[in-house]
Amino acid sequence: MIRTSNLTKRFGATTAVDGISFEIGRGEVVGFLGPNGAGKTTTIRVLTCYHPASSGTAEVAGHRVDLDPVAVRRAIGYLPENVPIYTDLRVEEYLSYRAALKGVPRRERRAAVGRAMERCGVLDVARKLVGHVSRGYRQRVGLADALVANPPILVLDEPTSGLDPNQRRRIKDLVRELAAEHTILFSSHILAEVQDVSSRILIIHRGRLRADGTPDQLVGTASGRRLHVEARASAEGLREALSRVPGLVVESAVGTTEGYARAVAAVPPGADPRDAAAAALAPCMLRELRLELPSLEHFFQQVTEGREPVAPVEAAS
Amino acid sequence: MNAILVTLRKELVSYCYSPVSYLVAVLFYLLHGTLLHALVVAFSLGGADADILPTQSYGLMSTFVMVVLVPALLTMRCFAEERRSGSLEVLVTAPVRDHELVLGKWGAAAAFYALLWLPTVLVLWVLTTDWFLATPLSFGPVLTAYLGMFLISAMLLAFGVFASSLTDNVLLAAILAVLCNLGLLVLPGVLHRHVAPWLDNPWVRQVYEKVWVFDHFSNWFARGLLDTSQVVFYLGGIAFFLFLTVLSLGTRRLA
Repeated sequence: MIRTSNLTKRFGATTAVDGISFEIGRGEVVGFLGPNGAGKTTTIRVLTCYHPASSGTAEVAGHRVDLDPVAVRRAIGYLPENVPIYTDLRVEEYLSYRAALKGVPRRERRAAVGRAMERCGVLDVARKLVGHVSRGYRQRVGLADALVANPPILVLDEPTSGLDPNQRRRIKDLVRELAAEHTILFSSHILAEVQDVSSRILIIHRGRLRADGTPDQLVGTASGRRLHVEARASAEGLREALSRVPGLVVESAVGTTEGYARAVAAVPPGADPRDAAAAALAPCMLRELRLELPSLEHFFQQVTEGREPVAPVEAAS
Repeated sequence: MNAILVTLRKELVSYCYSPVSYLVAVLFYLLHGTLLHALVVAFSLGGADADILPTQSYGLMSTFVMVVLVPALLTMRCFAEERRSGSLEVLVTAPVRDHELVLGKWGAAAAFYALLWLPTVLVLWVLTTDWFLATPLSFGPVLTAYLGMFLISAMLLAFGVFASSLTDNVLLAAILAVLCNLGLLVLPGVLHRHVAPWLDNPWVRQVYEKVWVFDHFSNWFARGLLDTSQVVFYLGGIAFFLFLTVLSLGTRRLA
């Protein structure tokens, strides 16, 4: 549904987006991650035909953004970051106007607006002025606007920014619900949220795509895996047994009560040495053998704080 | 076409919701009424010449306000406000073309402006009654005067829309529009003395006469004369400024 190839956007001397290529298939829910200023919003704005690309191409629903912007915009429901909407109209009026602008025929307009309002839970403020509803409601009105013409693709730029935890959860639930019918690209810098909702994650940093894959894949390639072992052995014995397992680097081994010892060992990315460790410790009684995976947050830090270079991961699909 | 009408309707609704519109209307009617009253008194004392009345009444201060100030106030928010609040992004990422938005917004401003003039027709009717002039007006000149007024204003509104698209500051847009309107209406008259030596040159003369907008108005339309070249001049002016607006909106693509 969305395909970019070598997409680059420069503003004067600064390069906001630097040669990004990715492809998003029908029905995917893709989280678009990156620190502030990474180029998320710029990429989204190129996709929604607000900015033209400096070079490279982008295609949405089979239409090039530079050649057929109106068709592209028709295929996209867009929720911009700050949901700036007219404050002097009532919620219902605003949505009806937007539906008309997006070409929803007059006969279907009322039903379309009603459906979008129900979907986004704004029916109870339908008669209120947009300027008078709370931030959470306004965000949902923006979402209802994105939905009203029932476009196949939704592009949501930080749909949960500035919301309280309850509102955030509701938006998250809504995105999950919408995933059944729409292809969704949403940006965020709240990792837990992205991990919860999306089937795939793109991480962008300083205008470059740094990672692309399912949450599990990304976490799988991150460094920072640890093996926790507690066995009936002396600290030295445990350390020695574990260091025989290829790849393991024992970080600590201490004796605990009742003749047991605990050890923590670093594991190389992607490896699962639990079987090997169990075999190496075979005669001892094992009380704990646990592989600790790094969190997505950890991976995000690695990618964006540049502690170690991470090659872009190809998605499984 | 659909997008133009939708934009036009929404903008017209916004004008009707905006307190600025009502303030403008009140100020205008107040001024118009007072000055018209003074004029009628003057006519009754000196004996009425009903044919000259429209000309006189359109030379009123209130007309000047209506042409110089009101278009600027009506159009100042058009795009400047959208830029300031960021809603321009929502607007231009909807499946519409820039020229549809521009036409819709300008059309709404022109329609609302025409609405503001509408009640003054009532005043003309009142004038013909026995309490005032007790004589029929010749409506030919009145009609052309209205047409001329509308054409000039529609052009100034087009400039106002353009000025509004240049900045995200509503006040700046209004000031810019007022300055331009003033310049367009007054400057050629002020410069007349300085331009006079070159007026023998037919080219200079042609350009000068065409640009002197207010002169067209008081010498032609207000006397009931309809000259197609002037109508074309205004229509061209409208098209020119609206085209500039579309270009100005397009510059976001160059950013």
